[in-house]
Amino acid sequence: MKRIVFLMMGIIFGFLLSRAGATTYDYYARLFLFQDFQLMFIIGTAAAVGMVGVRCIRKYRPSSLLERSPIVLEPKPFTKGLIPGSLMFGIGWGLAGACPGTALVMLGEGKLGALFTIIGLVMGTYIYGILLSRKARASRAEPSEQMTPEIEAKKAG
Amino acid sequence: MTEVIVWNGWIGGLGIGLYVLFQLVVTGKMLGVSSGYCSLCGCFSRATFFIEQKQKEGPLNWRLWFIFGLPLGGLLAAWSSPGDWVAGFSLGKLYDSVFPDALWAKSMVLVVGGLLMGLGARMAGGCTSGHAISGMAMLNPPSIVAAAGFFAGGVFIVQLLFRMVG
Repeated sequence: MKRIVFLMMGIIFGFLLSRAGATTYDYYARLFLFQDFQLMFIIGTAAAVGMVGVRCIRKYRPSSLLERSPIVLEPKPFTKGLIPGSLMFGIGWGLAGACPGTALVMLGEGKLGALFTIIGLVMGTYIYGILLSRKARASRAEPSEQMTPEIEAKKAG
Repeated sequence: MTEVIVWNGWIGGLGIGLYVLFQLVVTGKMLGVSSGYCSLCGCFSRATFFIEQKQKEGPLNWRLWFIFGLPLGGLLAAWSSPGDWVAGFSLGKLYDSVFPDALWAKSMVLVVGGLLMGLGARMAGGCTSGHAISGMAMLNPPSIVAAAGFFAGGVFIVQLLFRMVG
């Protein structure tokens, strides 16, 4: 039952991303060429609406319908990889003309190029997981000062 | 290429913003997509990172179900648009004007783009949805830095691409 709820959520979000223009390649190119700010409006408006909601949630601490426990908001921590990672993400974002969510939506729209983007996304995530697992194993054998984002995140929160 | 209906930016943003709150109130989960790719990798990889991720997310594995819904949402958006559903490898007028015509070469660029996003999202701890939308909604400073980094990276590569090729 819960799984169906999440599947439905994905469908609604995918539909909205498409209507927002986030699955139209040209909007990405035109945003980064400073010709059209549709996508920035989308992110800005969505974040602003979210801000109001987040304030209400922090104030009234409601429970979620599915979990029946108060909603917990966990802001992401600052990590060493944040700046290099975000720049790297941005380069990929500009190259592929899609982000991790919209690539999947594009596939449903028949934009088959997204298939390659998704393959790349899985590869990138997989490489990170393998490298991090190896690093974690090495640091367990010999504790070093190098901290991985995940360990840092765990410590912070 | 399938032509989909695109709403005015304000309305589209309002829709997505309300959706984020709807998801939060119904499920208690903050919007985020890129971690779903970890759940996907966890289906076939036994690396410690993915196993730990699985344990953290619990048996429901909601991220996987959520990302399965996304292509269906795209299908729905395409069907409800006036034009026909067309499958093809076109990347639209602008990208097609700078990318190579040969499919293998074009696909390589897209794989590299995806790879950088996959790796970068994990290093940064989130993607456009988790950092730029959810993070900025919480006015979380690291997320604001990440969103600026995303934008800077995109501007850099696209300007370079269109100046060199276009």
